[in-house]
Order: sequence, then C-alpha cells, then structure tokens
Amino acid sequence: MSVVNLVFGRVVDLVLLPFRGLPPWFGMTAVSLLTALLMLGVYKLTSNQAAIRRAKDRIKAHLLELRLYKDNMRVTLAAQGGMLRANLAYMGANLKPLAVMIVPLVLILAQLSLWFDRAPLRPGEETLVKAGLEAAADPVGLGLELETPPGLEITAPPVRIPDEREIVWRIRALAPGTGRLVLRGGGQAVEKSVTVGGQALTKVSALASRGSFWKRLLYPGEPPLPKESPVRSVEVLYPAKTLTAFGFRVHWLVAYLVLSVAFGFALKGAFKVEI
Amino acid sequence: MSARKRAAALSRREFLKSGAAASAALGLAGAARFTPKVYGRARAARKMIVLGLDGLDPDLTRRWIDEGRLPAFAKLLRQGGDFRPLGTSLPPQTPVAWSNFITGMDPGGHAIFDFIHRDPATYIPVFSSTETTGAAKTVRIGGTIIPLSSGRVRSLRRGTTFWQALEEGGVRSTIFKMPTNYPPAETGQRTLAGMNTPDVKGSYGIFNYYTNEATSLVQEAGGGGRVHDVYVIGNRVEAELPGPTNTFKREAPETTIPFQVFIDPSHPAAKIVIQGNEFVLKEREWSGWIPVRFGLIPTQSVHGICLFYLKEVRPKFKLYISPVNIDPARPALPLSTPESYARELERRFGPFFTKGLPADTSALENGVLDEEEFLRLDDMVYEESMAMLEYELGRFDEGLLFYYFSNADQRQHMFWRLADPGHPAYDAKLAARFGQVIPGVYAEMDRALDLALGRADKDTVVLVMSDHGFSSFRRGFNLNTWLLREGYHRLQRPWRQEQSSLFDNTDWAKSRAYGVGLNSLYINERGREAEGIVAPGPDKDNLVREIARKLEALTDPLTGEHPVLKAFVAREAYRGANRDAGPDIVLGFNRGYRISWQSPLGGFPREIIEDNTQRWSGDHMTAPGVLPGIAFANRAFTAEAPALEDLTASVLGAFGVEKPGDMIGRNVLE
Repeated sequence: MSVVNLVFGRVVDLVLLPFRGLPPWFGMTAVSLLTALLMLGVYKLTSNQAAIRRAKDRIKAHLLELRLYKDNMRVTLAAQGGMLRANLAYMGANLKPLAVMIVPLVLILAQLSLWFDRAPLRPGEETLVKAGLEAAADPVGLGLELETPPGLEITAPPVRIPDEREIVWRIRALAPGTGRLVLRGGGQAVEKSVTVGGQALTKVSALASRGSFWKRLLYPGEPPLPKESPVRSVEVLYPAKTLTAFGFRVHWLVAYLVLSVAFGFALKGAFKVEI
Repeated sequence: MSARKRAAALSRREFLKSGAAASAALGLAGAARFTPKVYGRARAARKMIVLGLDGLDPDLTRRWIDEGRLPAFAKLLRQGGDFRPLGTSLPPQTPVAWSNFITGMDPGGHAIFDFIHRDPATYIPVFSSTETTGAAKTVRIGGTIIPLSSGRVRSLRRGTTFWQALEEGGVRSTIFKMPTNYPPAETGQRTLAGMNTPDVKGSYGIFNYYTNEATSLVQEAGGGGRVHDVYVIGNRVEAELPGPTNTFKREAPETTIPFQVFIDPSHPAAKIVIQGNEFVLKEREWSGWIPVRFGLIPTQSVHGICLFYLKEVRPKFKLYISPVNIDPARPALPLSTPESYARELERRFGPFFTKGLPADTSALENGVLDEEEFLRLDDMVYEESMAMLEYELGRFDEGLLFYYFSNADQRQHMFWRLADPGHPAYDAKLAARFGQVIPGVYAEMDRALDLALGRADKDTVVLVMSDHGFSSFRRGFNLNTWLLREGYHRLQRPWRQEQSSLFDNTDWAKSRAYGVGLNSLYINERGREAEGIVAPGPDKDNLVREIARKLEALTDPLTGEHPVLKAFVAREAYRGANRDAGPDIVLGFNRGYRISWQSPLGGFPREIIEDNTQRWSGDHMTAPGVLPGIAFANRAFTAEAPALEDLTASVLGAFGVEKPGDMIGRNVLE
C-alpha cells in the first residue's frame, strides 16, 4: 500500500507543482482534465464500445417509437419495456470499465484530499491535536506528552478522556512552516506532521494512524504509526478548505467530479469514445 | 430570592412567553417614502462621519477633557471644533432618543414612546419597536405545519429615516448598528441592524448557564437567562442548548442541540463537543464564536453563533453560553440592507455580534458572570467595533458614515454603583478594582474618535453625539403602588397586592390610571381602553393635571427630594400625528431616581419608593433637561441648545438635502 501511495502521491504532487502559488481552481481544473483524459482512455480500452453504441441506439429507437405511436397503448408499453432492457444492457456494458476505473479514482481522490480537503493552520490560529489510544491504554496513567516544533505552542493543559481513550491538546500556530509533532510516553515516541501557512495550494495531512488497510488507503499522507505504540492515531484538526464559485462555497469533491465529467463529455468526440 | 422577587420573576416570565414569539417571522417593513429636494449646491459637503456614542454624559466628558483623559475630544476642540450639551428625548430612553435622531421627529411623530407600550385591548405590556406576526395561512399535514406565506417582522417606528432622505438626494450612506433600526428600514443604503436585533430565539438575548450548583435567576422583559441543572458523571456532562421554537410543528416545541463536556480528571480544562465542533477551554476562558444549527424540518434550519465560557470545572461545574446570535453568514432574520452586507462583513471578519446590545448585563446582574468576566465580554464587543470602524473608515470616500458604540451605555448602567459611594449597592472592595471602569470606557470612546479624526480630511464634517447622559439610580419609584395608595387604581384582592403581575389583580371598573413601561402613565379612558371608565375630554384632562400635580409634589421621606421632577402632559409635550397613541403622562425623574423594577410590567410592591440594590445602578430616565447628551463637531454650532432632532436636520443640511415636512428639527451646524 505504501508503494502505491508513494507513486500516486508523487504523480499528483508533480501535476500540481506549477499551480501551488495560484488559486486552487487552477490546480483543480488541471487535475480534473487529466483525470478525464485518463478515464476516457481506460473506458475506451476496457469497455465494449459496440455494445454501448448498440444499447444507446436502441434507447433512441424506442424513444422515437414512443413519439410516433403515442396513441397506441400496446406499442407504447412495449417501447418502454424495450427501453428498460436497453438501459440495463447499457449499465451492464459499463460495469467492467467502472470496476477498472474505480481503483485509480479512489487512489487519486485520496491524494487530492490531501490538497483540497483541509487548509493549513494560519499563524495565530488555534486547533486541537487528538491522540487516539489502544483499548487497554489509560490516558491518565500513560503520561503521554506532546512536543511541538518551533512555530507552534501548546495553549491549554491536555484533556484526558478515559471513556474515549483519547487525549486532546490545544495548539496555536505562531509562524509559517512545516514540522513534526512528537508524542512521548512509556518510553516510546510517535510523530505526526503539521503544517502552518504555505502557498494557496498546500498539501496537508490531517491523520497519522497505525491503521487498517482502508485507513492507509484514505489517509495516504503519512507513514503508518509503529505497531508497538499505545497510540493508535494522531489527528490535527485543520480547518476545512473552501472553494468558492460566484460567491458560493463548493465542496472540492463536487468540483472535481463535475469538472471531470464535463471534460470527459467535451473530449469524448475528439478521442472517439462512446460513453 | 425573596417571595416578592420570585413572584415578579414569574410575571416577567409570563411576559417573556407572550413576547418571545418573534422568532418565526421573516420580512421587512416598508417605510414611507418621499422625494426630497436638493437645494443650494448639489453637495454642500462631500463627506460626513457621525459617531454615535450611546450614553456619553456631557458633564463627565467635559470633566475628563479638562483632566486630559480624552485627548481626541480635546484635539477636536483645539482645532476649532465645538461642543454643546444635546437636548435629549422625552423620555430619554435609548429607543426613543435614537428614533428622534433617525426621523427628526419627537415621539408624537415616530410613535416610539417607551421601551414598552401596552395593548389597550388587554392592558398587557408589549414591546414598542417591533411587531411579529406568523404566516397568515398554513396547511397542517400530520404534526407538521406548512406555511403558505412568510411571517413578518415589522418596525413600528413611523416616519422617514434620514438615510432614506439622503438616498433620495443621491447621497450614499453607511449606517452601522443604528439602535432601533431593526428590522432595517427598506433602503438601498448600506445598513446593519443595531439595538433591538433579537437572538435566534426572538428575544433580546437569553444566555444559558449550566451548573450543578443551586442557582436561580430573575428574568427580564424580553431577555435574561436560563439555568440548566446538570450532573457531572465520570468527568462528563451531557446537556442541551435551547434554540428557537419550531413553528413547523403543531406543538411548537423548542429546538435543542445536545452537547457534551469532557472534563480532565485533574487539569482545570475540558473538551466541548457540539454538532461535530470540538474545542478545548481552560477554566475562566472564552471560546471563539461557535456555529450551531437548529433543525426545524429536513429542508429548514436556523443558524446561530454563540460563545462558551468555562467558568469553573471543580468543585462545581459552571459553564456559560452567550445568547445565540443570528449567524450573519446565514441570517434567519433580516440583519442588513442590502442583505449581502452582513455576509460581506462576515467574510471579512468572521462571525460577529449581531444581537442588538451584545454585552450581557443580565448575566452580570444575576452573578452568572462577575465584573471581570462581563468586562472581558464587553471588551470583545469593543475590539470588534473598533476593527469594523477601521474597515469602514478605510473604504469611506464620500457620503455619510454613521457608526455606533454601545459600550459606554452598558458599562455605566452596570458600574455606576462602584463610582457612587452613596449608592445602596456600593461595595468598597469592588470599587477599588472597578471604580475606574467608567472613565476607562470614555477613554475607549476617545480612541474611536481619534481613529475617525485620523481618517477625516479638512472637508469632512465630523459629528460626535450621544443620546442622553447618565446618573446614579439609587431609588426606584413604584408608580402603580403610588396610584393604588392615591386611590387612582383598585385591586380585586388587595390582600394579594404583592403577588399581582401584569394587572391580573386589577379591578378595571374602578381603576382610573395605570403605569406601564419605564416612564409612562395611562388614563383608563373610556372608548380607548377595553374597560375604560374615564370620559375623554374635560374629565380626563382634569384627572391628568391632578395626577401630574400630585406626582410633582411627591417627596421621598428618606431624602426629602422629589422623585418625579416633572410630570409631562403628553398632549402638550409632543407634536406629530401619532401623539394620541402614546401615554397620557410622561414621568421625568429626578437625578438618582427611576421607575422601580416591578412597576413597569404592572406589579404592585409594598413600598412606594425603595432602594435599588441591584448591579444595574446607573440610568437615564430623568426629565430631559437633567441628563442631556453630547454634541461635538469640527464645525461651530449655531444654536446654544441643540436637540437630537436638530442633528437630523443638520446631517441632511450638510449634504444640501431638504428635510421632509414632518421633521421638526433645524440645521444647527455652521
């Protein structure tokens, strides 16, 4: 998993490199365009183009039938039944390319979330660092301590919550930069990256976890925490990043999917892909 | 709490219930329009800045200028400016006084006579400034009520606002938090609602206090607070934050948001989780603004913002949550014109105070916040006001900028007792710590003026004004008890006098007069009041004069002073088409006196005059001549004694805009 994350991470980093100083929409547009091209290629290679074309033609034919024989109930019902069958055939023909596409898409989405989901802390801003502990660990007895890099300070005593097996610190960003938070306790230490300031498009990893396969898939920003540590996860509660369009806030996932689909449909003719 | 106070509290709660339905409605009241003429030069002035500093007293201002504590005021005078005591309204209450300034009329014109009016059909007190009505038509589907039309919140102030007149004259204006401008008068100008803007519950501000210590509160008309008894179990507290009533449901239940507090086993800190928001507070620490969303039906919700203050985690748990302000990013009620102005400010500054008077005087009054905590909260209000003033001044290039500060008024109300050793609530220890709060807040207002002067060029007219002065509130006058003793009012069950509230014990068939509000006395007039007995005409006029004469002759046996300096006959004191809608007598109190706490809502305490032992210790319900406001300008005044409504005419005059015909003021600026 780590190798796959590394490869996809590097590719996305490279794609977004020229856009880091620009408003996030530029990077989003570039990634969406490349995604559309990639998906068109995958779709063309993995789908039965003839079957898709045939299913769409049948749907069109039945639509025409509906219009021409709208006064004939028997023909109308038969046309609707035919349309339903053609639709099922169309969806069936899409299953294989979708199954193939979903793998790179999830990996790309996980990487994009590092860039577009959370914003780095601003100097002066406060947030929480949450350490999730093993079921057997006692947050009070563990004596876990947080060390912050320069540019960050702890502004409240830790709140230890035995029921939740959680310890929470409040930190304040003082100066821009990246660094590592270190949690020490019981002779062991775990680390977690933290980012303050940066360019308009800055990579931010919210969670480091010892984690399952899925956690490592969905939070690919950091290496997994050591297994022998009582700390299961360390999370920095970064503020949400917002994309705005015409005064409206748009979730990055919505923007990405809409742009990718739009580019896909716009370019399908040029690449002779039947969708 | 004494039985008497408890009874009064109950009555106020009932009053609150009747008044708090304001949460459901949306909509703006239209204002009468006219087309003023622009005379003389098209623009006599290009820029004008008006600072509205609520409650600044001319004597104190003058004294502290002379002592060198107000350098910006001194500079204004040194550079050719002028100063006059400013004639205030009758009565000098904030909504009345600012309405005088807004419309250039007296209460006989704008129809705001008091904080509280009464419904002559029921004798029940009602708020004077706004009226809220629900949807006219609804459809019920099961337990859900679907409105077919929107509700409506309407300003009851009459007349044209001066910024509407300026708009017609082509002069751009920004009117920032003008008191009583809620809902904001319809205009294309940039305006942000001020005092009277409710919280999300539709009240004037209800705080919530969560504690496992026995606590009781005295509720206030239209605001106050609520105590929630909580249990700390396993260092965890589960509680609910109340929101607006859900008018989409048949029973109109109160909406709530559950939240949890996780207390550290030994550190004085806790984590609070509400609707997915997590934050840590140390003991005696304020949170920033926390957004909350009260769901009504799947497609409708009310967005608010509130502050958390973790007062104590052990041995007792004490958590204060401020009144839930309307979220300016997603306002459920109208906050500004254009609507985008509030959102624009939110984008620039983040969430901000939108409730009319943001300082929580009720929390201090009830001891939920102490003096230091109250001041910290009011400091936040001041810092926010200063930041926004700087922003508005930074982009101010023509027209009028009106900008309002509430801090001086609120602090003088709450801290006068610590500057007046003769006050019944004076505390020498507290006075040593907080005796300088009032000069301190005047110095803060001076800094606001300094900021404005720094951005004003030589062609900019700068006007600094307050709506009234201030004095000590040592003794409270129970008007209704006095009317009872003098035989003008009768109770059905005299032995239950002190338990009476909202006139529920009154024998109207034998009552000739009653008091409602802070300065108002009404005759129980036949044909006007539901059970009126006094014939209009000579009978009523004679009765009015008789009562006024007796009120003025009344003396306080403790001090030998006259509590009522002047009892004004309203028909003679007011001009304008709406003067008959007001009270019959307006009480102008003497320095040191005010209406009591129980009388304004129809209560009948035992004593006629009693000590005011509460923290709310400074006030301004006197006869207008006793406590004028201030008027400073970087131009000369042409009148020795200008009044509020004269400043309205002066603002219009500065831009060469003719005043509407019903404005009674005159231009007093050179």
